[in-house]
Amino acid sequence: MTSLPHVRRFLRVDRGSVDVPGGVADELDFHFAMTIDELMAKGMSRELATREAHRRFGDLEMTRRGLQHIDQERVSNERRARWWSGMTQDLRYALRGLRLSPGFTLGVMLTLGLGIGANATMFSIIDPLLFRAPKYLEHPDRVNRITVGQMNLGTEYYRESFGYQQYQDFIADTHSFSRFVATWSSRLAIGSGADVKQEQYVSGVSASFWQMFNAPPALGRYFSADEDRIPAGEPVLVISWPYWQAHYGGRRDVLGQHLQIGKLDYTIIGVTPRDLLGLSLRRSMGFIPLTSIAANVMPDRGEGRRFYNGYSFNWLQLAAERKPGVSAAAATADLQSAVLRSYERRREAEPSTPPASELQQRAMLSPVQSEAGPNRSTATKVGTWLVGVALLVLVIACANVGNLLLARALRRRREIALRLALGVTRGRLLGQLLTESLLLSTLGAGLGLVLAAWGGAVVRHGLTPDAESIGIFSDSRMLAFAAIAMLIAALLCGVAPAVMVLRSDLAGALKSGAREGGFHRSRLRVTLLVLQGALSVVLLVGAGLFVSSLRQVQATPLGYDAEHVTYVEQNMRSAKLTDDERYHLLDRLLARAQELPGVVAATRTTSVPFYMDWSEDLFVPGVDSVNKRGEFVLQAVSGGYFKTMGTRVLQGRPLNDADRDGSELVIVVSQSMAKLLWPGVNALGKCVKISADSLPCRNVIGVAEDIKRGSLSDDPGLLYYVPISQFPVGAFGIFVRTAAPATVAAEQLRRALQPEMPGTAYLTTQPLPDLIAPEMRSWQLGATMFTVFGGLALLVASIGLYSVIAYTVTQRRQELGVRVALGASAASMLRLVVGDAMRMMTVAVALGIAGALIAARWVGPLLFHTSPRDPIILGGVAVALLLVGLAASFAPAWRAAHLDPVTALRSE
Amino acid sequence: MAELDLLQGTLDLIILKALIWGPSHGYAVARWVAETTGDDLQVEEGALYTALHRMEKRGWIAAEWGLSDNNRKAKYYQLTPVGRKQLHDKTELWNRYAHAVSAILRTA
Repeated sequence: MTSLPHVRRFLRVDRGSVDVPGGVADELDFHFAMTIDELMAKGMSRELATREAHRRFGDLEMTRRGLQHIDQERVSNERRARWWSGMTQDLRYALRGLRLSPGFTLGVMLTLGLGIGANATMFSIIDPLLFRAPKYLEHPDRVNRITVGQMNLGTEYYRESFGYQQYQDFIADTHSFSRFVATWSSRLAIGSGADVKQEQYVSGVSASFWQMFNAPPALGRYFSADEDRIPAGEPVLVISWPYWQAHYGGRRDVLGQHLQIGKLDYTIIGVTPRDLLGLSLRRSMGFIPLTSIAANVMPDRGEGRRFYNGYSFNWLQLAAERKPGVSAAAATADLQSAVLRSYERRREAEPSTPPASELQQRAMLSPVQSEAGPNRSTATKVGTWLVGVALLVLVIACANVGNLLLARALRRRREIALRLALGVTRGRLLGQLLTESLLLSTLGAGLGLVLAAWGGAVVRHGLTPDAESIGIFSDSRMLAFAAIAMLIAALLCGVAPAVMVLRSDLAGALKSGAREGGFHRSRLRVTLLVLQGALSVVLLVGAGLFVSSLRQVQATPLGYDAEHVTYVEQNMRSAKLTDDERYHLLDRLLARAQELPGVVAATRTTSVPFYMDWSEDLFVPGVDSVNKRGEFVLQAVSGGYFKTMGTRVLQGRPLNDADRDGSELVIVVSQSMAKLLWPGVNALGKCVKISADSLPCRNVIGVAEDIKRGSLSDDPGLLYYVPISQFPVGAFGIFVRTAAPATVAAEQLRRALQPEMPGTAYLTTQPLPDLIAPEMRSWQLGATMFTVFGGLALLVASIGLYSVIAYTVTQRRQELGVRVALGASAASMLRLVVGDAMRMMTVAVALGIAGALIAARWVGPLLFHTSPRDPIILGGVAVALLLVGLAASFAPAWRAAHLDPVTALRSE
Repeated sequence: MAELDLLQGTLDLIILKALIWGPSHGYAVARWVAETTGDDLQVEEGALYTALHRMEKRGWIAAEWGLSDNNRKAKYYQLTPVGRKQLHDKTELWNRYAHAVSAILRTA
């Protein structure tokens, strides 16, 4: 028997690799050596002893392998257990630390939660717009939307709608694509009679559409090419899963049932899978053959001109799937020649179209997500900016949390140095610090997801109200995103303390205690603080710019009082009325509306701001080529128009009921139109001819103020008004002015007027504010989000500033105490500490303003009548941040000024 | 008397018992077992090492490398608290088992 005390230890296990076979061999060698020695001592020869030893042992090779196997398992078990116990130890340690300072933990959780939540929110909105392929799409990498770039007055614009004939040409003239898909959607009334539901989106798709998706119908079947043929296709309908659930309770006998859509009766033949949206982000109630929706909606335009012939009618969106192995470049070239050939055919049919060389058409395979293509909407642009803003918020949050963690690490500096001296590896310490920041960011990410689920709905409603939303917690991409954001946050937050641990110089820290080293090291904190301040400035400048834009938008005179005006539109459906009958119907609606209580005035109309325009060629004696000077919008109205709209007539008189068929031909023009056509001259009494030069003059009797009709920012305001009885262009709808706001009155109006409608015809009412709202939306959202984020950033930055100053003051107690002891006045102490803070803030402001000026180039186009370099906004933000710096540093400065020198000096 | 085959689990018990007086290497354990049981129990040494390693994996015994009396590198095994408890429990179990069996045999 042996004992251990004098034995040197071989700590093999603690080294990274363990030599298992070597250990087993050593052990067995020892065993055999001992056995043989013993047997030889008893008088056996070496040879005999060896044989006897092996006999006693049994199958050596098998045992050796068995032992190695067992040891191998043991070693890896031990390694796992060690890793796990280190991990849980770190975790427990971190948890204990966090529990001991609940204020810190809560603050960090909130800061990171807001940062991660902001990013998760924006990602959940931007992802489907720009990155996520449509659900069920079989070969998303080979599917593109078709876009044609084309020159117009020196700038290229991107055309994404095409004619049916062009669609057929592309199919016939290309060889790189396995299929083309054409889609179009429209809002149509669903149901019939008293059951007519409000209009819903219905998608018309080519039969090839279904082959692009790997998604068998939830019920029934899809339609085939036989059912999607010109001229009218078959009236068959594949309803969407949600519509099936909502309106048929998911019943299987829905197949074969009939449903009126628009003016046709459709047979339901199938139900789509639950999440199939097609190539769009907007949910349709169902899918019908493309040719069928065209036959349903598009009027026959006479002389055999139908939706499927001729080139001048562009209504389809096209997508194409490349054949496997065909590169995007080759397919683009193939499509390019098809575009040119198709255009040549068009020139043959319509010789008046400009030559191809003028248009410089360029075929493009755009991303399948339409918003990722060349024609991005303002919502997407603003959304992309908000992604940047959210990232800034996260960086600020991380800088702040890093700062706080660093402060904790500094406070534990001596402890850390001691542990390093005792042989704890830096890796282990780093692991511990990272565990802490990972734990914090996990808590933050959890909170962030909750915030995103809640805030995402609000933001999405503001940015992309039509898009189908995604479930934050059930979506793997969202969860992956949150996890990545969490890891990045953990790393960013943990970097500062980690750097400190890696660089910390042991001896110095142990000797000097917390004081000197701590003060020196807080330079890193100052850097983080300045970074936060600078980023806050950038965000606040953004907030200022967007708020200013929003105010400008809201203050823009529209030239009418949208608040109280409702547009009432008639949808004739199958009711066959002659134009005259429809005019009478409109007059009846008008008369009925005027009798209703709460109605102030009403008028007939042919153009609706932000909704539809009507224009005709104009001829003005003495003015050449009037029609090349701009687009003049015709507004044929009945008397009372100006009263209804609240548009002022600046000169002359408005139209009234006495201006009728047979009386003097009159016209009222807008101010801009008057200035354009008769610069410097009184427009009253001038002659304008509509449609043809040969027609008689219309006498300008009034000049009305400009109105916004197409865009809030740069509408040319060219508009003219004629009595509808003198220029019956068509039967559209009526405007009604009510005492109550239009948004309240619209539905009452619809109910009161609907009984006037014959047969299945029905009315829709649209409050004008609803038509203008989308124009405001991106600014509204930009202003709100920038303000919220900017405010958050400012709050976080000021907390950071306060904590750094307070910490610095604590670190410098001794030095400050000496100053007080030597007779420094309270005022000079205040100046000293506040001065420090203001120096930091000045640097932060300078950097932030520089950053904002650099960003100005890109943010400029998003603003409305606001310069991205607006000195008042820049100056205001600078002053605001300096004031916040002053406020944040005052309390610690006050404490420094009133230090008791004796305690301060003794405390070290 | 015929050679007895070891009952299942008994080898473990014997090894635990062998280690009760302090750390010991495999060779010593093998010697002790052979000496204590005389020729009644034939323990193949390969099986003994396998048992040692298996118990080390289970955490009943811990191993350390050291030097033997004649200055050779040897692997020393030692009971862990878990192993000590195993020894206690298994001894009790074995005794009850032996009593029960012999009681049956007596009445027969």
